[in-house]
Amino acid sequence: MAERVVTRMRNPDFELVESSKKMNKEQTRRSLTYWKDAWRRLKNNRLAMVGLAGVILIILFGVIGPWFSPYSYSDQDNRFTNIPPRFEIYAIADDGYVFLSSQYNLILVNEKGELLDKLVRTNMDAINKIYTYDYEGEEIEVDFKNRLLEDDGGVDIKVTYKNVTSIYPTKTVSNKTFPWGTDNLGRDMLTRIMFGARISLTVAFVATLVNLIIGVTYGAISGLEGGTADDIMMRSVDVINSIPLVLYVILLMVIIDDQGLWTIIITLGSVYWVGMARLVRGQVLGLKEQEYVLAARTIGVSKAKIISKHLIPNAMGPIIVSMTMMIPSAVFTEAFLSFIGLGVSAPMASWGTLANDALAGLSTYPYQLFAPSIAIALTMLSFNFLGDGLRSALDPRLRKG
Amino acid sequence: MIGYYLKRIVSALFTLFIIATLTFFMMRAIPGGPFTREKPLPPQIIAQLNAKYNLDDPVIVQYFNYMKGIATFDLGPSFKELGLTVNDLIRQGFPGSMKVGFVAVMFIILFGIPLGIISALKQNKAIDHVVMVMATIGVTVPSFVVATLYIYFISSRISWIPITGLSNPLAYIGPAIALSGYSLSYVARLTRSSMLEVLRQDYIRTARANGLSEFRVIGKHALKNAMIPVITYVGPMIAAILTGSFVVERIFSINGIGRYFVESVNNRDYTVIIGMTVFYSALYIVMVLLVDIGYSLIDPRIKLGRKSGD
Repeated sequence: MAERVVTRMRNPDFELVESSKKMNKEQTRRSLTYWKDAWRRLKNNRLAMVGLAGVILIILFGVIGPWFSPYSYSDQDNRFTNIPPRFEIYAIADDGYVFLSSQYNLILVNEKGELLDKLVRTNMDAINKIYTYDYEGEEIEVDFKNRLLEDDGGVDIKVTYKNVTSIYPTKTVSNKTFPWGTDNLGRDMLTRIMFGARISLTVAFVATLVNLIIGVTYGAISGLEGGTADDIMMRSVDVINSIPLVLYVILLMVIIDDQGLWTIIITLGSVYWVGMARLVRGQVLGLKEQEYVLAARTIGVSKAKIISKHLIPNAMGPIIVSMTMMIPSAVFTEAFLSFIGLGVSAPMASWGTLANDALAGLSTYPYQLFAPSIAIALTMLSFNFLGDGLRSALDPRLRKG
Repeated sequence: MIGYYLKRIVSALFTLFIIATLTFFMMRAIPGGPFTREKPLPPQIIAQLNAKYNLDDPVIVQYFNYMKGIATFDLGPSFKELGLTVNDLIRQGFPGSMKVGFVAVMFIILFGIPLGIISALKQNKAIDHVVMVMATIGVTVPSFVVATLYIYFISSRISWIPITGLSNPLAYIGPAIALSGYSLSYVARLTRSSMLEVLRQDYIRTARANGLSEFRVIGKHALKNAMIPVITYVGPMIAAILTGSFVVERIFSINGIGRYFVESVNNRDYTVIIGMTVFYSALYIVMVLLVDIGYSLIDPRIKLGRKSGD
């Protein structure tokens, strides 16, 4: 019947579509899950993506970087101590250049800025401020009077070799052998910063993980149990929260008294879980009234299962945001502890230790402080950007349609 | 009302008691006594020292003696600084820490809050971006970096700014900047977002519609409400700044308790570590308590005895 009606209405310009093709007209769009939706919004947040890129770069820097470095973090070269990343060179022979370090070592370099050798000092005339060095049997005289004068007339040092005196540096070159310079034991700064990244990030990630496990478990149990258990657990959290925690970290470090990586991780991990516990408890209090939890209970699912299968997955958003914020503060605390002398033991060094080591020579070798400081600041900045972005991407209240 | 204060005070005392107990037993758990030296002391001297400091008593007796001392504000002798008590060290160091802390808090209030307000009023203008970029940097750079950069770029180049110590008023600038950097930036950000939130409220529109001057709208109606979250943060922050200046005191060589604390940690001077921890914690708890009480007086929306977070 219907067929006949259609036939009657058929217009020669059109023809019927087969029914199998008809289905395709209905657009099927896969529904976005919570995580896909969050990722879509995160991608649109430029600052967060900058933060994410920064985080990835810093991790790569610490993990892969040391493989490409010809040096190890403990390799010392006592010829080249405290060499800055850039220096002024003076021509002495056809292809010979020298550079006078802040410690008055004369370093032989080539035109490209590769360090060749330290020249032997043969004579020190401290009164006239003229030092003499030996280069292939000939003397090089370095007169650095002007460096100490208020008005040096634009001349820093005078280098005399075979009766030819150069007053002005030939040029300023970058250090090709040690791109970020060396420290006071002649160790490559770049390699040390890369290893420092490993240590700082390991401490931060593992301590955050420990915090996460303790905090989430504690908070979820407290929230789910409710009643007296919750009261007692939350009062204890209040007590812990009213203690200045830095003091306790220091105390714990003193008590454990073994300045290894694990000491710091355990100390940081065992102290800073309170915020996480509160957050998770708050989430659980809301979630446990949901029907699916009630349903799970009626069919006799154990409390541990309810927590791990139903409550925690649904509270994951805020947990992740708070975790991204915990990592930079762990980097911060670790740097702080290392800086007051409670960090990992030498020759290993975290960024905080490197900054602390550089403090003594700050006015002469500022580059030794700048590198670890910039590394810390960039890490903090990247994680903060990423955390802010995640917060707005994962928080349903901040959704803009 | 009074019941609430009593409850708060009792719980603060209880917290302090727990802290003192915890610290005492933690310190007793450390291997090696306070008289362990690189070159061992003769046993007779150790015996005499132990007798002098009552270390022969059973731990529980020592604990009660120590608690009695704390209750009467006597924190005991220092084991390493002979002839000095912990009270002496605190008396020597506290004024320095207080002064620097006070200047830092003033910095935060005088610069952080106005910067946040300006930023909110000029939202998305150039000045807002500049302030917010600076604030982001301020939150991410550790205080010891700020302190060392300050020394390198400013005080070591300008001869009339002292590098270390607190010899003249200008010497306070560096420590105060280093100490306040993080909180100042945080307060500026907080003030900005809180101000933006308030400016969107209906009563601001009403105030404008009624023809109030912009100055009155901002100063009287917006600011008062925008300050509430800021005060919540500033309270514990004051306590944290007064107790958290170890690094800054060390870099600027300020005679403060933070410096004594770090030194006692490095010297393993146990009584000083316990004493200072208890002192710091007490200071922190009292400050938070005072701020809470003051806060409940300022903000009528806070119902006493009920927690807003639950």
